Amino acid sequence: MSEAPPATPLRERAGRALKDTFLQEALTIATTKFIDLRREAFDEFPEGEALRDRARAIKEATLQGLDHYLGLLIDNVERRGGHVHYATTAEEARQIVLDIARSTDARMAVKSKSMATEEIHLNSALEAAGVTPVETDLGEYIIQLAHERPSHIIAPAIHKTKGQVAELFARELKRETVPDPEVLTRIARAELREKFLQADIGISGANFGVAETGTIVLVTNEGNGRMVTSLPRVHVAVMGVEKVIPSMTDLAVFLAILAKSATGQKLSVYTSLVNGPRRGGELEGPEEFHLVLLDNGRIRQIAGPLREALYCLRCGACLNVCPVYRQIGGHAYGYTYPGPIGILLTAMLNGPESVKDLAHASSLCGACADACPVRIDIPKMLIELRRDVGERRIAPWPERVVFGGFGRLLQRPALYRLAARTGRVLQRPFVSRGAIRRLPLFFGDWTRTRDLPPIAARTFQERWADLEREGHR
Amino acid sequence: MTTRAEFLGRIRTQMGRTPGLFPAEPSARPARPRERLEVLRRELSERWRENLERFRHEFERVGGVLHRVTDAAEAPGAIARIAAERGLHRVVAWHGDALGLDVAAPLTARGLEATAAPAVEVPVAERERRRALAAAADLGVTGVDLAIAETGTLVVISGAGRPRSASLLPACHVAVFDRDALVESLLHAGLALEAWHEGTPPEGRGASINFITGPSRTADIELTLTRGVHGPKEVHAVFVERGLVRRHG
Repeated sequence: MSEAPPATPLRERAGRALKDTFLQEALTIATTKFIDLRREAFDEFPEGEALRDRARAIKEATLQGLDHYLGLLIDNVERRGGHVHYATTAEEARQIVLDIARSTDARMAVKSKSMATEEIHLNSALEAAGVTPVETDLGEYIIQLAHERPSHIIAPAIHKTKGQVAELFARELKRETVPDPEVLTRIARAELREKFLQADIGISGANFGVAETGTIVLVTNEGNGRMVTSLPRVHVAVMGVEKVIPSMTDLAVFLAILAKSATGQKLSVYTSLVNGPRRGGELEGPEEFHLVLLDNGRIRQIAGPLREALYCLRCGACLNVCPVYRQIGGHAYGYTYPGPIGILLTAMLNGPESVKDLAHASSLCGACADACPVRIDIPKMLIELRRDVGERRIAPWPERVVFGGFGRLLQRPALYRLAARTGRVLQRPFVSRGAIRRLPLFFGDWTRTRDLPPIAARTFQERWADLEREGHR
Repeated sequence: MTTRAEFLGRIRTQMGRTPGLFPAEPSARPARPRERLEVLRRELSERWRENLERFRHEFERVGGVLHRVTDAAEAPGAIARIAAERGLHRVVAWHGDALGLDVAAPLTARGLEATAAPAVEVPVAERERRRALAAAADLGVTGVDLAIAETGTLVVISGAGRPRSASLLPACHVAVFDRDALVESLLHAGLALEAWHEGTPPEGRGASINFITGPSRTADIELTLTRGVHGPKEVHAVFVERGLVRRHG
């Protein structure tokens, strides 16, 4: 499996997040702001709903012809002088990038924000091979200096205060500064500008790969995507296979909804279309262009239960609206991809065992599916994952026994009535102030953080029978 | 190492196991996008005033500043004013042919250090020198291949005489455009992208197309909006009413 499981259990990670008062405040402010901005953007854009349906259909259509569209993308990238590589696993992807770095004698790599390279843990591999990776998205740069991982797909450092960033810059960059975002940004600009001009290799992800033209598309607000793809002499793009789309006409549809869903902007500041290496007459552009196509668990989901998760654009909208994410933040999830979609992507990358706890870190309220620009039915897949976790006997045995028994009870009305009558008597010692507040033995896990309503004095079935007798029907 | 055949083979195997979730088609593409784009441009030229107004509104919303001049010959004056107000001296610009007017000479005449990019392939050493020049410049002048009214976006195609760095490295970017570049929506931009990629690319066409929607920005520290993180801190657009002598990228 590609990612190591977290060292502490989910309950502990979540507990820590809940006690972190700054994190709580930062999460509320950030997610509320993103929700408002997204709503305003779509309110102003009446055609948005129809375009979301269109975008969803394009994603499904692309998966139905994935071999064709990827083949086309590969042919067109090669026709433009680019090289294409195929990575089945994260390990293989790392190896490919390291080989490129070695063959081009690279010492320093500048990186634009990319979840795909986070997912394969590329930075540590580069460091081990003597290539210094420099994250250039401001948020990513901050967490790289702090040796942390992103806590949000599009705002990786929302868990940090400006005071913490100022301390970090003082310690790591030896630059004493006031905790002012404007000043901090200026320092990062100067530091990173030098790196852009010195770096041998630029590494990016890809928001889209356009099959008909062989174009890699990057969306950024800071401009680091443009730097990384224009200044170093080599550019490597790491792209999940599901990022391919058929044509430029399709691209326009996605661009119309992507930024609105992510940050509420009509369009992100920079959308960069990369058509391979520098062409004759250009002053800038890489001499070499490499595209690394990444499987890492995606391909087996084409016919798997997580197929729909392959539509994901990585906009982060489902994180912002999720009542669980809003409480515990990204780090508590423990893997590269946080939030509702993150649970599905973690299962995709690392297998269902990796989410035996996370599959339950959802209230199944459906807000994620409503916010998703391509309407991915996240709750449905979470329920399937829970069932899968149950069937594979990954869940703790008391849980399996209780829910198994409850399931059988529900299928037998006579037995159910009997159980209700017995339960009414048995529950007496545990009911206080109208609720079951503490259960004995391992059942206590259930009531530790929530109350259970007691079985009613008269069940619905009994009351229904009464009503029928009284002629109210 | 996995080969193309193995990789696509595994995809095909998985595809064979499912009909998919629902019947779906990709977007219908225009048959002859170049012709369609020309027709669209003619239609839009009737409504350029509304589109310019909408562009201005959206461009200002994202932090851009629009300037208007009547004649192409007035554009260098407008650029020089932007530079003077901010105390900027070093200017890198697109080549006159790519821009539709020569700005280097008139800007130099106004006391600025202005250089225009060469329109032909130059040796590595010269490219290095030009890059250092762009990195040290504080104002970059480019043309515009498309101005999208719906989003306030400037689209630029790189190429010979059209360096990418002019709209990226200096802290101030000034783009010069006219009514020919105006389109209404992102879907129109999709048609333009189809047209630009139809057939063999013209001589001198570069490998990069950029949609620029306002100045470079970030909100990565406590969600505080900050401009000019890697790219320009300011973006200006100079609209030339009577048009430029334009050569399409």
